[in-house]
Amino acid sequence: MKALAITGNISAALGCSLARPDLIAAYPITPQSSVVEHLALLIAEGKLDSRIVHVESEHSAMSVLSGASLAGGRTFTATSSQGLALMYEPYFRVSTLRLPVIMPIACREMTSPSSIWCGQQDAMSVREAGWIQVYVENNQEILDMVIQGYKLAEDPDILLPMNICYDGFYLSHLVERVELPEQSQVDSFLPPFKQYDAKLDPDDPMAVDPLTEGSILMQYRMSHLAAMKRALTRVEEIDREYAQVFGRSYGGLVEGYRMEDAEIALVTIGSMTGTAREAIDQARSNGVRAGLVKVRFMRPFPAEALRNILAGVKAWAVVDRSVSFGWNCGPLFVETEAAICGSDLARNSSYFSAIGGLGGTDITLDLLLGLLKKVTGNKRQNGKMETVWLDENFLGRVE
Amino acid sequence: MNYLDVLSTKPDMLSPGISTCGGCAMEIALRRVLQIAGPNTVFSIPPGCAAGAGTMGWNFTNGVRIPVHISLLPNMGSMMTGVSQMYQRRGREEVNIIAFAGDGASADCGFQALSGAAERGERMLYICYDNEGYMNTGFQRSSTTTMGSLTSTTPAGSVTHGKAQAQKQLAFIMAMHRVEYVATLSPAYMKDFVDKVEKGLAASKRGFAFLHVYTPCPTGWHFAQDMAIQVARAGVKANITPLFEVEGGVWRQTVKNSRPIPVAEYAKLMKKYEGIDEETLARWQKSVDADADTLARLTK
Repeated sequence: MKALAITGNISAALGCSLARPDLIAAYPITPQSSVVEHLALLIAEGKLDSRIVHVESEHSAMSVLSGASLAGGRTFTATSSQGLALMYEPYFRVSTLRLPVIMPIACREMTSPSSIWCGQQDAMSVREAGWIQVYVENNQEILDMVIQGYKLAEDPDILLPMNICYDGFYLSHLVERVELPEQSQVDSFLPPFKQYDAKLDPDDPMAVDPLTEGSILMQYRMSHLAAMKRALTRVEEIDREYAQVFGRSYGGLVEGYRMEDAEIALVTIGSMTGTAREAIDQARSNGVRAGLVKVRFMRPFPAEALRNILAGVKAWAVVDRSVSFGWNCGPLFVETEAAICGSDLARNSSYFSAIGGLGGTDITLDLLLGLLKKVTGNKRQNGKMETVWLDENFLGRVE
Repeated sequence: MNYLDVLSTKPDMLSPGISTCGGCAMEIALRRVLQIAGPNTVFSIPPGCAAGAGTMGWNFTNGVRIPVHISLLPNMGSMMTGVSQMYQRRGREEVNIIAFAGDGASADCGFQALSGAAERGERMLYICYDNEGYMNTGFQRSSTTTMGSLTSTTPAGSVTHGKAQAQKQLAFIMAMHRVEYVATLSPAYMKDFVDKVEKGLAASKRGFAFLHVYTPCPTGWHFAQDMAIQVARAGVKANITPLFEVEGGVWRQTVKNSRPIPVAEYAKLMKKYEGIDEETLARWQKSVDADADTLARLTK
């Protein structure tokens, strides 16, 4: 085992390389670009045996992968923000064709106003396009989830593409310690990609995607949703298998931190979780029974796991790094509220949506400590409270 | 093999019962291309007449004997790049990789992916069947629609009448990508057609090959169902659809046209140009003459 000091982008590239892809296609976009630059370098130096196609757009990047996957290849690309928006058409097609493509998203705001900095609006906005989506906390988790991603996506009971979503700049450009697994370990964990159906091969000719009537299309959608449901279990199993081989577990769908006797809780997603751990520790040292729930998967959504881990908590807040335009709150909050609908938790606790970290602004320790203070103040109330913005005036409002 | 032997002995790969309009020139082109290519082929068509006519099929049946996929409208060049790259990686270079896309999917919406694949020299045979508009969605204007054409988005009115602009010269543009092979084809010149498909297939094993096939559309252009070949031949005679090829940087006019007919004569064959005024006819003729002059210089 080798430990490296690398950025999140290099970690994604090394995870891809260890998975031995057949074909990589990508188009430059900030903050993703160094993922494919590094893969191009590995190929140029003979350290990675993969084809790489330097396409003229993200729309073409995802399209090249769809063709290569239909021809039986293990494929990889990475993108951010506007690039993801441009590839939406083939992005949706790849999931509904059940092609197990792996694509990290170095999360970035959507324009307008013009911004190149962090925000999860890009990845969150495509959560209804049929892909599995995991949101990670640190650079080690990026590498590990690329490798686990292929195992999950290519599972014959799943066959779905997957995004590994990590915060732009906060992880993509941050240097952290990352343990690099041995190639032989990865090879034994991850068998070569085996194609089952939806293939383009003159030796087994078929028409992929003829015009399809509604009653058959409904069967396709039911099958897709059933695969998502199976993924809820496979995520947990693969997390345990990975821990056995590589010694690292992330708790599967959600991870609880100091939740055992927690009265108040923060629900977080992405890199803010690291800061939130520190905030919870400080609150605990002040005698507050605080805990943290890190949501890892947005698709499939871990509704049951969230209900279970939050059960018994008196007050909690969900912190989003993006917005849901129709709901005056964040998308993770919307879905968490849907998950607890009708439960004892919904009746016997108070909860609200907190939105912060948009456009690259920091979700600081002070902001999260202030947020914990606000949540603690709600302990004797029940039901949904007003949405809170973690902007520059937030701490003044809490005092 | 003589082209007649090719066409009389090689099996038809397309169902006899596909649902193109009567007299469709695209069907002739599609049937001949697949017949020449044979079964060891991966084939793709984007949305459009060729896919909609049943080639892609309906529910669990389809119209061809080879693997076929309906690409997205704008991604033919890149989707087939992925297929081609994987066949090379697996050492199966003998498999024909054929894209068959209309003018909208090639010259308009899909031009970026087409240009990208050509510039990278991806190994495939890309065929644009050009019926000069979005015929499958009801005859709307495209960038290859000729000047003066009446379409459902350039209708006859008291203020404007037909398309105001000349058509985009897609084959010229593709030749400037310095690809392995570029040619224009017409179903009215079948020997020339077969030669170019065979050359294109051979070239597609070395790099990018592009064929531009003119496919007159009886329904959209408004001419009788038995006239597609006559219209196609008149297009060549009028220099609107000249037949040439570009190989290794050398341009060659494969069907000479020493005494071209006026575009006005071609226009009379169909209602597409009904009511076209003298001024537009003159502008159109001038633009056709200018392109013919360019081609003459290039093929000198």
